[in-house]
Amino acid sequence: MGNRLAIVWALLVLAVGVHQVRFWRSARLETDILALLPEDEQAPQVGAATRKLADESGRQLVLLVGAPDWESAQRAAEAATEALSQAGAPLEPARVDATALDAAVEFYRPYRDRLLTPAQRAWLASATPEELGGTALMKLYQPAGARLTDWSDDPLGLWPDWWAARAAENEARPRDGRLWLSGEGREWVLLTWQSQVSAFALGDDAKVTAAVERARAAVAAIPGGRLVAAGVPLYAEAAASQASREISTIGLGSLVAVLLLVWLTFRSLRPIVLVGVSLMIGCAVALSVTALLFDRVHLLTLVFGASLVGVAEDYGFHYFAARQGKPAAERGRVMRFLLPGMLLALLTSVVAYLALGLAPFPGLRQMAVFAAAGLVGAFLTVLCWFPTFDLGDLPVTAFAERVSASLSRWPRITSEKRWWPAMAGLLVVSAGGLWRLETRDDLRQLQGAPANLLEDQRELGRLLGLPSPAQLFLVEGEDEEQVLQREVSLKQRLDALVADGVLTGYRAVSDWLPPASQQRADAELSARAEQRAVAAVAAATGEEPSRARFANDVLTPARFLSSPAAPAIRQQWLGPLGSKQYSVLMLRGLEGPAVLARLAAAAHGLEGVRWVDKTEEISRLMGRYRRLMGGLIVAGYLAVLVMLLARFKREAWRAWVPSALGTLLTLAFFGWVGEPLQLFTVLGLLLLLGMGVDYGIFLLEHPGDGSAWVAVALAGVSTLLSFGLLGLSATPALRTFGLAMLLGEVSIWILTPCFRMPPGKDIT
Amino acid sequence: MKRLLALACVLLYTTASASELLTGVRSRLADPPLLRGQFEQKKTVAGFKKPLLSRGEFLLSRGKGLLWDTRAPFAATLTLTRKSLSAEQKTGGAAYHLDASREPALAAMNEFLFALLSGDVDSLSTRFRVEGELVGADGWRLTLTPTDAGLARVFRGIRLEGDRFVRQVQLEETSGDSSLIQFTQLAQTPPPGATETERLGK
Repeated sequence: MGNRLAIVWALLVLAVGVHQVRFWRSARLETDILALLPEDEQAPQVGAATRKLADESGRQLVLLVGAPDWESAQRAAEAATEALSQAGAPLEPARVDATALDAAVEFYRPYRDRLLTPAQRAWLASATPEELGGTALMKLYQPAGARLTDWSDDPLGLWPDWWAARAAENEARPRDGRLWLSGEGREWVLLTWQSQVSAFALGDDAKVTAAVERARAAVAAIPGGRLVAAGVPLYAEAAASQASREISTIGLGSLVAVLLLVWLTFRSLRPIVLVGVSLMIGCAVALSVTALLFDRVHLLTLVFGASLVGVAEDYGFHYFAARQGKPAAERGRVMRFLLPGMLLALLTSVVAYLALGLAPFPGLRQMAVFAAAGLVGAFLTVLCWFPTFDLGDLPVTAFAERVSASLSRWPRITSEKRWWPAMAGLLVVSAGGLWRLETRDDLRQLQGAPANLLEDQRELGRLLGLPSPAQLFLVEGEDEEQVLQREVSLKQRLDALVADGVLTGYRAVSDWLPPASQQRADAELSARAEQRAVAAVAAATGEEPSRARFANDVLTPARFLSSPAAPAIRQQWLGPLGSKQYSVLMLRGLEGPAVLARLAAAAHGLEGVRWVDKTEEISRLMGRYRRLMGGLIVAGYLAVLVMLLARFKREAWRAWVPSALGTLLTLAFFGWVGEPLQLFTVLGLLLLLGMGVDYGIFLLEHPGDGSAWVAVALAGVSTLLSFGLLGLSATPALRTFGLAMLLGEVSIWILTPCFRMPPGKDIT
Repeated sequence: MKRLLALACVLLYTTASASELLTGVRSRLADPPLLRGQFEQKKTVAGFKKPLLSRGEFLLSRGKGLLWDTRAPFAATLTLTRKSLSAEQKTGGAAYHLDASREPALAAMNEFLFALLSGDVDSLSTRFRVEGELVGADGWRLTLTPTDAGLARVFRGIRLEGDRFVRQVQLEETSGDSSLIQFTQLAQTPPPGATETERLGK
């Protein structure tokens, strides 16, 4: 029976091994923190919009090279370009299509008469015939101008202004064959490069970052020179190197600790090898199951998963602690003897981990699946393989003896009067801490990117006047025309806010593709005004000039979207989602969160217009789930109590109180040190419920049994270490999670033996 | 190999002669801080049978701007400074104004026009291929072909003629329109008057 189990498990492990080899050959790892964020429950279109905007810039690297004057800025740009194109950097200059603008101008030419800026519309409607005629004459007699058409195609010279308004959506302007902008005391050259590789392998040597740093050094050599860079590849590389650093710290750190403890306790190679194998298989199973269930494994899952090492070792410890000092022939019986307690412990842990997945954060679900699968893998290895491979004797070591004996010296809390002041003090401290506890729900918890990257990103956005990716308007309509019309109504309100300085501008599809109704009205308006202007010029010159003819039909969305003009704005046109059409209107130059309320108000009363503040929405979602999970913890404690009562009857509280008390103390500590309560703290506490109770279970299952205490003591130390190391993570969410686990584990670990059964008493 | 050497020699010779030309033109130009005079412009525009004639006076102040005042066939003023471009017709009240801070390309256009009217060959040769010849004892003639994509969109080519001053500019636009501008009564005095100073300060 035992051997058959071992063979079945060996086959499964083999399959996992094969899968692992294939997984690492084509590592599909995710670094984007957006992937960790939940789907918007109310409006899936918002998710679609965010993804579309993010996809556009996946490989792009945007650099601004600045210097006090244009001459040295150009030299700096050359130095940067040279550094970036050095061998070894997987970068290439983004293809700048010089003919794209000409092609767009040609495309729009037949529709010139219906492309007006709001200011032009107002002027054409109010100008006197003299004014119109005078303007046309002046422009006609001007020495030379940046005309895009023949005089007869645009007698009032309106079109260059319309193009200038389109160009104003971005601060960069062509100058001497480069893209130039001026700001914050420097002249800047805009460079766009792209990474040649989209996927990356973990442990890659951050080649793009290295190339950018070389360019930064080259630019710094020019007096007053400065380089600002941003792009997804830089974030991806930073995340990858950070993750691989943390995985090795946490994973190797706890592995070394676990193996050291095993060696100290058992002084034998066999337990070290077997426990090591169980951990390896646990991690491999975890990764395989995650990779099979999810499209891509996220880097943070691996970082979090590294803490699994300190948890999954419990089962191996228990087995060897119980098996120590017994003849090899009894190992099957030892396993059967341990099985109920181990199963119950596994069950509570797995349930606790899977409960993490109740929050609709895809990242958390991955971590939950990863941990649960890892625990089951390690448990099955212990169950199926340990009795088969653990042959020979395993004498009790002096160290194990000492640890085992320490249980009887551990203080035991009783109802005697001398414990009352201590208990009262504990309650006061806890209550005080809980009173001071603050909460915070902030999306930035997930952001572990280095500060200099974020700073560069902000500076670049400011200089270039890039639209905000997190705050936008989603416009919905029955058909394309309605979407465009609704955009126009929204823009009228936004124009007032632009005039007030609330924002500097916006980008809307309807600026490039006006709704058909407006195209018709504007064509009529410009025709009337220009015919007057042409008549005035005819009278003044004695000639017979005429106004050119334009397209008869309106510019349709289908025509626009397949045109060379579309790439400038296509990412904001979501098109059909379900039965409706959608577009995104983006905002530029938002100054601080104070203005957001006014923008949100701009959507009030406009049908089909929805204000989206992604940051706010996710924070609210995190808050909601923090409360929900908090409630779940309370419910979880009650459920666990019921479960414990079923098995341990009147003694159940002995396993339950330490965990509950440990959780309260952790919360109190957070309160006293001013560390806010976040969703991830709560999730840590949820996990604590599942794992802390294990110690109580083991001690109750085997009261007075020193070997159970040995296992609990060692398991506690290694778990502690894993989560303590997780507390060093650069990702704030993982840090608070690790900290909650660390504090909770310490207090539960100290408290559990305090509530053990009186000597000589047995549960049965 | 021989042909390659020959090619290299030709290239070297051309660059040498190009830079000689620039030095020559530069030494013949007076390059005054202030230049004023009369202009006569003959503009050929598609859709008009006869060339459009206009005349008036201009003032070019180095580093400040250009005043271009048409007197005939109608009165209009054009003011181009580092900061803005504004045009105004005396009768009829037509006017328009462009702000360089809102339209940065204006600064580049501005720089180009200054270079053109003052014959700043160094500045022009960064945006144009400059060819030409020295004429007589103190004259010169230049042909400019744009190398800058933005200018190439507007101009096919530009011809300049002059001696101590630029005397004639011929602009060939890509649309087929062209302008021939001749300058007369060029002088370096008097300094700008009160109204002129005010306009240049805008």
